Amino acid sequence: MLHFYLAGINNQNFLMRDRETGTWWQQISGKAILGPLKGAALELAPSDELSFGLWKRESPGGQVLAAVARDQKEYDSKWEAEVAKHPVVISFPGTELKSRDLVVGLELSGEARAYPVEAILKQSPIQDRVGGNPVLVLAGPDGKSVRAFASRLDGFEMEFFRKSASDDFLLVDSMGGSEWNFRGCAVSGSARGRCLHALPAIKDYWFDWRNYHPETTVYRR
Amino acid sequence: MDFLEEGVVSDTMAQSVRKSRSFWMMFAVCVLGATILFLIPAYIIRPFRYQSPRALVWAITIRQHAPFGSALAACITFLMAWVLWSRAARAGKALIVLGALLATGSAIMSRLNYFEWMFHPVRQPNFAPAGSTKLDSGEMVLALSFNNDARAYPVREMAYHHIVNDVVGGIPVAVTY
Repeated sequence: MLHFYLAGINNQNFLMRDRETGTWWQQISGKAILGPLKGAALELAPSDELSFGLWKRESPGGQVLAAVARDQKEYDSKWEAEVAKHPVVISFPGTELKSRDLVVGLELSGEARAYPVEAILKQSPIQDRVGGNPVLVLAGPDGKSVRAFASRLDGFEMEFFRKSASDDFLLVDSMGGSEWNFRGCAVSGSARGRCLHALPAIKDYWFDWRNYHPETTVYRR
Repeated sequence: MDFLEEGVVSDTMAQSVRKSRSFWMMFAVCVLGATILFLIPAYIIRPFRYQSPRALVWAITIRQHAPFGSALAACITFLMAWVLWSRAARAGKALIVLGALLATGSAIMSRLNYFEWMFHPVRQPNFAPAGSTKLDSGEMVLALSFNNDARAYPVREMAYHHIVNDVVGGIPVAVTY
């Protein structure tokens, strides 16, 4: 088991080292770039960036990281605006997005694809393909949270529609007419109790995602 | 005889001057070496600056060997300082003190992680139940769940600490933002 600490920065993406071997790791990829474990890669755990309200509704028995007392005054609720003021050191002119545009990045079967957060919030549910696989990209009921799923059940590709005339967040599938929630689980109909496979998604600035995924495509409609 | 003796004396003097010179050389090389071992990575890996792939590999390779290298250089620096001290004039002594300070400072800095001065690490993460956490419902959290162990890491905390080492549902994770 390795324990990681901040050890440097590489074009505004952190470098970490582990206390056990001193290997250097790149934050975004989890890859060991130098040191005894060079060539190894950490497994990307499926995680979510959610609003606290939504997370709490989904995980009422969950645990929340407590503030570290001596650092509490350093926490900045306007960090996003602060970060946006910092200069960027790499840019990709000619690409259709601005350096600090937020994207959600997916990687499947060798293809990397970026979804501008603005587009997701406007167009959810987005049905798309990445590396030949059908994917479903969703904005949550809070209008902030984003999730991605493999849009397939028992080998069958599925299509989803926003359920109209409902305040709650619900999608309806084209096959059995089941209703699906933001967790990717069916709450009614023939698929009730089944869940779609959630995909690891990385929320990142465009310049950082593009820097580490030079072949990335960009979703646009 | 007089002549001969004089020759011998001036010979040993020349030898000792040569020796001094090589001690001074060694002293200078070690001071410079220790300083470079600290400064090059610090200069290359600084925030808000472009790092080329080659410079980065150089920087972290040096940084990796700097704790040992700079300590060794500092030790030799001190040895040379000790040898040179009695022979040195006032200006020479000042140089020795300055060099020894530089080498010591570099050896210490090579062992310190100044990135953790900017963002204090979380030594031992503590958690509170979702129900008793006073967090605005619109605040973003990073969420993880393994084996029915659901954890939330508020982004405002993560944007400061950047890394938390944790075990969730028995699985060791590094949560990073």
